[in-house]
Amino acid sequence: MDKAKKAFLLTLMHTFLISVAVSCIFPLVWMIMSSFKTYQEFIQIPADINTWRGFLHWFLPHKFNLANYISAWRDGNLGMYFLNSVIYTFLAVSGIVFVSSLAGFAFSRLEFWGRDFIFHLFLAAMMIPIPAGFVPLFVLLTRIHLVNTRLGYILAMINVGLSLSIYLFKTFFDNLPRDLEDAARIDGCSKLRIWWNVAFPLAAPATGVVIIFNALNVWNEFILAVIIFADKSKLPLQAGLMEFAGEHIGNEPLIMAGLTIAALPIIVVYLLMQKHIIKGITAGAMVG
Amino acid sequence: MRRGNYGYFLLVLLIFNLFFLSCSSQNKNQVLIWHWMTDRNQAFQKLAKEYEKETGVKVRFEIFFPPNVYAQKVQAAAQAGTLPDIFGILGEKEYLASFVRRNLVVDFSPYFEEKPAWKESFISQALEVSSFSKDNIYRVKAGIYGIPIDFMNIQFLYNKELFKKAGLDPNYPPRNFAEFIAQAKLLHQKLGVEGFICGWGETWLMYSLALDFAFNIMGEKKVLDTFRGKYSYNSPGWVKVFSLFRQMKEAGIIPEGILTMANKEAEEIFANQRAAFSFNGSWCVNVYQKLNPQLNYAPCLIPEVSSAYPRKIWGGAGASFMVNAHSPRKEAAVKFLEWLTQKKQQDFLIRVTNNLPAIKEAPDNLGLVLKEFRKGIDYVTHPNLWPVYEKPKVIEKFTQQLQKVILGEITPAEAAAAVEKVKLRIIKKD
Repeated sequence: MDKAKKAFLLTLMHTFLISVAVSCIFPLVWMIMSSFKTYQEFIQIPADINTWRGFLHWFLPHKFNLANYISAWRDGNLGMYFLNSVIYTFLAVSGIVFVSSLAGFAFSRLEFWGRDFIFHLFLAAMMIPIPAGFVPLFVLLTRIHLVNTRLGYILAMINVGLSLSIYLFKTFFDNLPRDLEDAARIDGCSKLRIWWNVAFPLAAPATGVVIIFNALNVWNEFILAVIIFADKSKLPLQAGLMEFAGEHIGNEPLIMAGLTIAALPIIVVYLLMQKHIIKGITAGAMVG
Repeated sequence: MRRGNYGYFLLVLLIFNLFFLSCSSQNKNQVLIWHWMTDRNQAFQKLAKEYEKETGVKVRFEIFFPPNVYAQKVQAAAQAGTLPDIFGILGEKEYLASFVRRNLVVDFSPYFEEKPAWKESFISQALEVSSFSKDNIYRVKAGIYGIPIDFMNIQFLYNKELFKKAGLDPNYPPRNFAEFIAQAKLLHQKLGVEGFICGWGETWLMYSLALDFAFNIMGEKKVLDTFRGKYSYNSPGWVKVFSLFRQMKEAGIIPEGILTMANKEAEEIFANQRAAFSFNGSWCVNVYQKLNPQLNYAPCLIPEVSSAYPRKIWGGAGASFMVNAHSPRKEAAVKFLEWLTQKKQQDFLIRVTNNLPAIKEAPDNLGLVLKEFRKGIDYVTHPNLWPVYEKPKVIEKFTQQLQKVILGEITPAEAAAAVEKVKLRIIKKD
C-alpha cells in the first residue's frame, strides 16, 4: 500500500516537474527552430497540426538555413553590440564581485560605527524598483560628466547589482569558521590580506551565484543603456536587438535568429557556472 | 582562482577605465536628432546625407527603441538638461504641455510669421496636434511647438480579394453598419475567415472606434459635453455605442481572442487574408507591404450608424519633431525641419515609408491605398485637437465596460451606467 502510494506520488511529482520543464524549454527550442526557417515556412500552418506528424512538420525547419543568422549579424550590426555587451558584462560583474565581496566581508567581520544601519540601507535599496531610479541616476551621471560614457554605464550597473551581492557575500562570510581567520592572523595577515588570501577564495560558491545573477542582469539590461547613451555605437546587444526587431517587424525568423545570438552566450555562462550555483545555494549563500 | 589571476583582472580593469571607458564623443557642429521610428530610420539617414551635401550642415539621426524606453530617455534628458537639438515627444498632449511650461521646446510661431508659406504648406490638423490655442485647457502659452513630418488617420479596411471570392462587389464597401454586419457575416460563413479583426488588446484602438461611432450618433457637441460633464453617459447615444460592439459579437464576426490581441497580431491576420475587415491606421500600408505585398485591400470610412451627424475618424500628425529651446544650434535645427517638410523630401519619405505626407500639396508618388486614406483628411478628429479631454480613469472604465459588453457579461445600458458612475465620482472630487 505504502509502495503504491509512494509510486503514485512520485509519478505525480514527475509529471508536474516534466510539464514545468517542457513549458520552460519549449519557447527556447521553438525560438531556435524558427530561426532556421524561411518566412514562408514560418507562416505556414499545416492542416494536420493537431497530429504528431503535422506538429513536427510545423515545428522543425525543413532545412537548417543560416541566412537569418548572417543577415541578423551583418544588417543588425549585432557584432558591434555584442562586443559592447561582453565588455559591459565582464567589467560590471568584475566590479560587483570586487566591491561586494569587500563590503560583505567588512559587514560580516569588522566592527564599525553604524555597521548594521548601513547594511540595512543596502537591503532597503533592494526593495526599490530599478526603473524608478533611472531618471535620478541619469541626472547624477550628467552632473559628474559621465553620461554617454561606457564608464558611466558600467558604474551604474555596478551600483544596481551591489545590494543583492553584498547581502549574499555577507551571509556567506557569516557562516565561515572564524578559526581560519584566526590562523591567518597568527601568521601575520592584515584584515585586507585575510580577505584576499582566505575569505574570498573560500567564497567561490557565493562568487558563482553573484556572477551568474549579475551577468544575467547586465547582459539583459537595455533600458538604462538607451537612457544613458546618446551614441548608438555604445549600446549593448539587447538595445541593438530591440531596434533590429523594430526594423524587421513581421519577419519573425530573422528576429528569432537575433534573439538566439543574444541568448546563447548567457546560456553558456549559466552552464559553466551552474555547478557553483548549486554549491553556493547549498553552502548557505542563499540562506537568510 | 589563483592569486596571479586576480592581479591580471585588476590590471585589465584599470586599462579599460583609463583608456577606453570614459571617452564621450559629441560633435558640437552637427544637428543631433533623437527618434524612435524604426521604419523611417534608413530614410532619415539618407536625407541627412542629402542635406549635408546641399548645405554643408551635418545632421545626425539617432534611433532609440522601443518607444516607451525612448520616452523615458527624453524624460531623463529633459530633467538633466541634455536634450538633443531635435527630438520627438511621445504621449498625451499634457506631456507636451509640460515641456512648454518648462520652456524646453521652441515655439515655431515667429518662424511661421516670417514664412507664412511654410505654415500654409501643412495639413492644418497635422499642425494642430502640437499647437496650443489662446486660453487652452493646459494653461500654457499659445503657440506651435512641433513640426509634423507625416500624417495619419484610422479607418476601416476591407480585403477586396475576399470580397470577390464571396461574390461581393470589391468596389462597394459597406456604407452603413447594417451592411457591414451583413457583409462580414457572409464572408465569415462563406470563406471561413474572421469577419473583423483588430488589436483590441491595445484598448485605445477600441476606444477610438467607439468615439468614431459616438461622433456619428450624437455629434461632436454632445460627445465633448459628455467630457465636460454636461451630458450623461447614460443617454441613449452612448448606450447605442456600446450596443454596436455587442452586435458585432452576436453576429459572430469577431474572434474569441480579440480582446487580448495586439495590433501587430491583428495586422498579420489581415495581411495573410484570414480576416475580411479590419480597423487600422494609415501606418498599416507599410506593415502590409512588408507582410504581404500582394494584399489587395482598401480603406473605407467607418460604416454609418446614423445620418444625423457627420462621420469622424481619428487622425492627425503621425510624428512631430520639436526643437530644443536651449540648443545652441536652434536656428540650424529649425532650418533643417523646414527643409525636411518640403515637397521633395516628403515625396521621398512617402516612397520609402508608405506614410501619408504632412503637407497639403499632392505628392507625386502616392499609392492607391494611401490615396484613399488621404481622402479621410476632411473627417479627421483627435483628442489632441479637442478643447476638452476625458479623464484617464473614465476612459479606463469605458474600455473595461466595452470588454464586458463584448464578452456578454453586462448589457450596454449597464456598461453606460457604470461609466457614468465613475464620471460623476470624478466630477464630485474635482
